[in-house]
Amino acid sequence: MIKTLASRTWKFFKSFQLTIVLLACLMALVVLCTLAQVSMGTQGAVNAYMRSFFVWWRTSALPFPLPVFPGGGLVGLLLTLNLIAKTLDIQRSWTKAGMWLVHAGLVILFAGEFVAGMMQVDTNMSIEVGQTVNYVQSYKNLELAVIDTTDPAWDEVYSVPDTLLAKGGAIAIPGTPITLNVKRYYPNAELSNLATGAQPSGATAGIGPGVAIVERPTVTNDNEMNMGSVLVEPIAGGRSYGIWLASMALGAPQSFTHEGHTYSLSMRLRRQYLPYAFTLKQFRHDVYPGTDIPKNFSSLVQVVNPSQKESREVLIYMNQPLRYEGKTFYQASFGKNDTLSVLSVVENPGWILPYVSCVLVSLGLLVHFAIVLRRSLKRRQDKKEG
Amino acid sequence: MTFVQKYLAWGAGILALLIALVVAMPGGKVRGFDAAGFGNIPILEGGRVKPLDSLARNSLLVIHGSQGFRYEGRGIGPDEWILDVMFRPQVADQQPIFIINDTEVQSLVNTEGKKLGRDNYSFADLSSHLEEIQKQAQTAQPIAPQKRTRFQSAIVNLFDRAYLYYKLRNTLQLAGSPGLGWELQSISDPEASARHQDLMQLAQFRILPPTAAAAPDAWQNVGEGLRVMAAGQGVHPALVPLARLNAAYVANDATSFNQALTDLKGVVATLKPGALSHANNEVIFNRAQPFYVGLSIYFVAFIVLCLSWIWKPELLRPTAYALLFSGAVVHTLGLAARIILQGRPPVTNLYSSAVFVGWGAVILGLIVERMYRKGFGTAVAAAAGFASLLVAQNLGTEGDTMEMMRAVLDSNFWLATHVVTITIGYSGTFLAGAIAIGYAIRKHIVTKVDAETDKALVDMTYGIICFALFFSFVGTVLGGIWADQSWGRFWGWDPKENGALLIVLWNAIILHARWAGYVRERGTMVMAIFGNVITACSWFGVNMLGVGLHSYGFMDKAFYALSLFILSQLVFMAICAAPARFWEQKPHSKA
Repeated sequence: MIKTLASRTWKFFKSFQLTIVLLACLMALVVLCTLAQVSMGTQGAVNAYMRSFFVWWRTSALPFPLPVFPGGGLVGLLLTLNLIAKTLDIQRSWTKAGMWLVHAGLVILFAGEFVAGMMQVDTNMSIEVGQTVNYVQSYKNLELAVIDTTDPAWDEVYSVPDTLLAKGGAIAIPGTPITLNVKRYYPNAELSNLATGAQPSGATAGIGPGVAIVERPTVTNDNEMNMGSVLVEPIAGGRSYGIWLASMALGAPQSFTHEGHTYSLSMRLRRQYLPYAFTLKQFRHDVYPGTDIPKNFSSLVQVVNPSQKESREVLIYMNQPLRYEGKTFYQASFGKNDTLSVLSVVENPGWILPYVSCVLVSLGLLVHFAIVLRRSLKRRQDKKEG
Repeated sequence: MTFVQKYLAWGAGILALLIALVVAMPGGKVRGFDAAGFGNIPILEGGRVKPLDSLARNSLLVIHGSQGFRYEGRGIGPDEWILDVMFRPQVADQQPIFIINDTEVQSLVNTEGKKLGRDNYSFADLSSHLEEIQKQAQTAQPIAPQKRTRFQSAIVNLFDRAYLYYKLRNTLQLAGSPGLGWELQSISDPEASARHQDLMQLAQFRILPPTAAAAPDAWQNVGEGLRVMAAGQGVHPALVPLARLNAAYVANDATSFNQALTDLKGVVATLKPGALSHANNEVIFNRAQPFYVGLSIYFVAFIVLCLSWIWKPELLRPTAYALLFSGAVVHTLGLAARIILQGRPPVTNLYSSAVFVGWGAVILGLIVERMYRKGFGTAVAAAAGFASLLVAQNLGTEGDTMEMMRAVLDSNFWLATHVVTITIGYSGTFLAGAIAIGYAIRKHIVTKVDAETDKALVDMTYGIICFALFFSFVGTVLGGIWADQSWGRFWGWDPKENGALLIVLWNAIILHARWAGYVRERGTMVMAIFGNVITACSWFGVNMLGVGLHSYGFMDKAFYALSLFILSQLVFMAICAAPARFWEQKPHSKA
């Protein structure tokens, strides 16, 4: 019984039907993902179709989403199993060495995409000429920053990620006597000046009481930004400091003072602080003579890393990113009349896998072609002799 | 094949090459003026040094849709046209070169009670409506090209063309002014500096080569030259012969014109010797129009081959092959010339990808024909070469096809490896699809069962799909490595990457389905035809979405062409999949 089940499973995973069905599913996913990018943005579409195990369909008729199609993760996983089964099933003889290498290479390629999907972190770093920046920030994820600004020379930053805000409840800020009581979190909202008779935001301190807030559906498009907003009540030493409204739509941070320490509150893009800092010394935007066709963008940065006792200049330009401490910094954008440079930052621990795969597959194809060529030459020789 | 037939066949091929050579020969003088010589003058436009002839051809292509036109019973070429636009605008303004197809735009520019439906307009016709055209175009311009209405697209298009024309006629002299000689004389007039300013702003190109003291890219336009002169910083040596040239053309004095031209070239030769020879080479390339000639030869080859199936196959089939071969020679020379002129690998934009896809398909077809000698390789290669060059001709109407590469693409290494490999993958998939279409049609036309030919066709398709899978896979992976090298990520599910992946997946599906025995002859062929749809979508459709890091070439007109193509392929798939009772394979009865 068990044996038949095992052999059936084995048969299922090594079957050509499975390969073809999965490849067709993958094609459908790729097409859907590509089309969805127009409305959802690249990241949104990739998360919905490729980096998920199911494609979910949300309908107003049902309270929960329905899985309607296998997602890229599931198809990829099954395809990997199928590939492994197939690779093991390929006759273990030298004549099949090429096919072995090719399929092993493909397994690694898929593994690489899995690692990228699970662990790749995309952030960016915007630096103005002359400015020094020691953090990268997320494109979409937000955080509520609580900054102790008492010491003019040093800011102590505590931050609460949006995912935690969304859960609500009381959040103790480690290292401070403050506990934040999250009253309400809006993933996306529109703020406006409070008109007479309109519903107030519910804030009791800071700028909040004069603002009306309306919840908006979240956006995923590449050039749109969620105006995440939160109503929080800081409590310290048993005392409430009122309900504050912090929002991406509000510019200046708002602050309150507790026991001689001034804390400012602000929503911002989630930051990751680095043990090193970049100073932008020069940004260049070259164009072809007499046109505005860009020829090159480059940022000359000073990399200062105290832990490595390192301080050196690096030129980051088109097709020449800086790989540093596991992160890749590449020239992505610019602004403010060519005085602001935006570097995209990618951290992918599995970046080496596609290279390994590429070598294996190329080698495998070469070996396979060599074997086929030798066989056909031999056949031709035999024909001549016979 | 007899001796005579062989020579007749190759004679036809050589004749085609001779015709191509004749096309490349320089034309005669226009009314005694050395207009062609004028076209040889190097200028800086769009970021690169090119001959005036290229500018004239591309501008006329943008404005009129072709590189020449007939006016008052005479053919007018690009060099003569640009001379008239720049020096005798009163003549050029009357030539009806603006073609307007949109009836709403026609009614906008047609208030003088002219008959509606007339679609050729001169600049003089448009001149009284320029403000209205500009107003309408400015309302439409902020709207994304995908979202414009038909009228909005048409008015923006007309405005762009009229503005290009307007700039051209105000580049070397302000239209309506007495000319450049007069500008030089009245250099210190109080109103002169405003005119210099206008000339600087409107200049479409820079004709004054950098002087020895200036930076090597520092070409100047006439307005800048005049301003430097007005500031007392010396007269640019090219200004005086240019002014003489201008005066001589206006005065209809061919001898002085040709003399001034020689002097102007002398100045250019001392300041920028490389530019002059580069311009000369490019003019020869322009005149030869290798891709247009190649397209014509492929067309003839295809017709000859079709004839060979009904009449004298032993003579016509080798003739078609010889013609295809000479078409390929012309095509290859054209491709090589572009590589040398541009200093870039063969594929740099959509236009050149179409040229290269066609070239790859033709070369593959030639090889297939050598292996099987059934005429199918020739037929399919000629048809594929013809079709892709036709596509290229249509893609090339948007201006300079040797435009400069945007920053991120400025990498000859990756352009030469990733882009070329992936384009060869496109060629292979298209060729396999084309053979499959040939197979499908043949099944319904040919009256006798010929299993051997069928098998040969399927073998060809299978072999080419293997080839295409190899190249598209390697090309896609190389693309991933380029992306990792420049963006720090191997794969981002960007539409262009997805398009390439779809081709790989589809070819892999075909091969696995065949290995597993799920499809046989006809199934493989139907799937191969669908490969055409996938390749076309990934090649052009992706650019129509307008998202992602790769979206550098949006086109709206092509959308309908693409839809039609897909529809036609679906029809061919249906024809191919039609069951055997539809086939014409019965004994031929002479009723």
